[in-house]
Amino acid sequence: MRYASQRVAYPYFVVALLLFGLQMVFGLLAAAKYLGPDPLIDVLPFDVTKAIHTNLLLVWLLTGFMGATFYLVPEESRGELYSVRLAYIQLGLWTAMGVTAVVGYVFRWTAGNKLLEQPLPLKVVIVVVMLMFLYNIGMTIRAAGRLTTTEGVLVGGLACSALLYLPSLFEFDNYTVSVFYRWWTVHLWVEGVWEMIQGALLAYLLIRLSGVDREVLEKWLYVIVGLTFISGILGTAHHYYWIGVPRYWLPLGGFFSALEPLAFLAMAMYAYYAIRRSGLAHPNRMALHWTIGSAIFSALGAGLLGLAHTWPAVNKWTHGTLITPMHGHMAFFGAYVMIVLGMITYALPGLTGRSEDSRETGAGFWAFWLQVSGMFGMTMAFAAAGITQTYLERILGIGYLETQLKLRVHFLMLVATGALFVLGVALFLWDFFFLAGRPVPAAPRERTAAAPSVAG
Amino acid sequence: MTKRAARLFFFIATGLSALIFTVLTIDSHRQFPRLTNAAALDERVVAGKDVWHRYNCVNCHTLLGEGAYYAPDLTQITSHRGAPYLRQFLKDPSKFYSEQRDGRLMPTLNLSDRDIDDVIAFLSWISRIDTQGWPPRPILVRGSAVPGAVLGAPPPQPASGDPVELGRAAYNSTPPGCAACHSIAPGVNIVGPTLAGISATAAARIKNPDYKGKAKDAAGYIRESILEPNAHVLAGPTYAAGGRSLMPDDYGQTLKPEQVDQIVAYLLTLR
Repeated sequence: MRYASQRVAYPYFVVALLLFGLQMVFGLLAAAKYLGPDPLIDVLPFDVTKAIHTNLLLVWLLTGFMGATFYLVPEESRGELYSVRLAYIQLGLWTAMGVTAVVGYVFRWTAGNKLLEQPLPLKVVIVVVMLMFLYNIGMTIRAAGRLTTTEGVLVGGLACSALLYLPSLFEFDNYTVSVFYRWWTVHLWVEGVWEMIQGALLAYLLIRLSGVDREVLEKWLYVIVGLTFISGILGTAHHYYWIGVPRYWLPLGGFFSALEPLAFLAMAMYAYYAIRRSGLAHPNRMALHWTIGSAIFSALGAGLLGLAHTWPAVNKWTHGTLITPMHGHMAFFGAYVMIVLGMITYALPGLTGRSEDSRETGAGFWAFWLQVSGMFGMTMAFAAAGITQTYLERILGIGYLETQLKLRVHFLMLVATGALFVLGVALFLWDFFFLAGRPVPAAPRERTAAAPSVAG
Repeated sequence: MTKRAARLFFFIATGLSALIFTVLTIDSHRQFPRLTNAAALDERVVAGKDVWHRYNCVNCHTLLGEGAYYAPDLTQITSHRGAPYLRQFLKDPSKFYSEQRDGRLMPTLNLSDRDIDDVIAFLSWISRIDTQGWPPRPILVRGSAVPGAVLGAPPPQPASGDPVELGRAAYNSTPPGCAACHSIAPGVNIVGPTLAGISATAAARIKNPDYKGKAKDAAGYIRESILEPNAHVLAGPTYAAGGRSLMPDDYGQTLKPEQVDQIVAYLLTLR
């Protein structure tokens, strides 16, 4: 850590991890409900549990992205943040929005649009927070007068995320049109501009952890982002199957989304070559694990498992089955959860004022391996359930309810492997909050009275 | 490749993709009214869509295959179950399903009659969207398009004492074995013709000049078909031979009168 204002990343990471922990509670609950019967059916039915589970994911990942950006930008631009105070106000507003949304869902305050359930007032707050954030970052870069490719891609990804959130502010009478634009936000986030964020964070971590030449890595970053958009923009079409749009989206979706693994494969390769050149020499081996893990798991989860059901002739049978969460869980974990945890692990020694090699704990490694194996098991459980469901319900024409009863053994595996995953998350939190130490120096003072003096 | 070339690749690739995507989006808007039957999209349908959103339905069900995977897809539900059935179901799902038997139950949402009618109008509009032939085979909530396919499924016990529910249970029990020959999935003709939409079909059939039986309404037609299969015979390679129906003609003796009433009540809900 070279700049005092980078320390603002710490509270962002705190909020992100607390919400991550909360997300796990609702995830386990949702998995248990698949087994049934559900004693909470009238208090906390599945729909509420699931909406909270997915919304917390989006909120904590974005919190992590913001924290990572506040950590990365001063270093890349070589200057202090424009305003630390603004960053704290932003975090407060953002956290209040997230908590209000979760409490609101419990009391059935929802817009009911999958993943974009936030009621309109909260959507407006999200836009305001994004603008505050982009303004702060923009002014920092302007004041420093230096913009690297890595941070350019990162900030570009974040700015596009804000832009692509705007369609969600509109209501459409025609459900097909509403679904059509919902994917502008959801798909173009996770299979478009968020990949810019992942690619940039990965590039930053690889430069720091492997010492590979920045010019080479940033050249490949352009190629990766180019590949992402060639496949990702027209690949939106794979969400347009069977929803009442013109027929040409079918072949387009098949062709372009079949290219989507290329970008992830390129990321995995570039991580591999960077590490092969330098070896696992960096003392922060835990950060190395998460970084390489992200490159590999996103290639598997987002790349290959996405490819598995993206072709129209296959998707005709698997559309709307448990095949989708099979892909969704591993993709989100590999591409976004692991990269954020990688950034946190990398930044933590600096934020807590230790040397880089002093951060190696048994709990930290267990957190990694339990999460990796738990997520792998969950993916397998969803895959077995999804394939069985496709054959019984879709191909043989057996009723939905009878089929679900047949899937119970897979739901049992889902709960068991999910519990392993949650244990891994708990260890990560334990390591972060209790073993890593407090942020130093003088963090408590800065967080309150001293904040303005650091600003500007 | 130089960094400059890589940057150029990025900008050209992104720009071109975005351009094609925009053009196709504009063209899609041109076609949405036809593909989604937008002429039928009235204020009831819009109000129904708001009910759909307000009650967070998409976080359990799928619609057009999109949503959550905890409850059945509802794209074609109004063509599998008629409005009278759906109205009763939405008032109290626990009369139709039980957690013990089915493992899942929809919470009772306390919807107003108005909300229920609106959401049915919405789902009925959805069912007429051009989905390019999806789903390729009907997605059933319960039962099977193929007789005997549900091996080891719990016996079809009624979830309540409602006549319709008792009729559904009888229909799916063996004997009498109705479900062995008649599916309730549209277009799935096993041995006898599908009974999907039989209520509406029956009402139309008695008005047909070819009809030779004595029934005066849909209920009468269904009762007559069960008790006297030869009163009106449908042509079909596995339905009839030599002008005689292949359906057993002794249900008048093997079924109790109240069982016939219950099965008729159940079949009347299939509109």
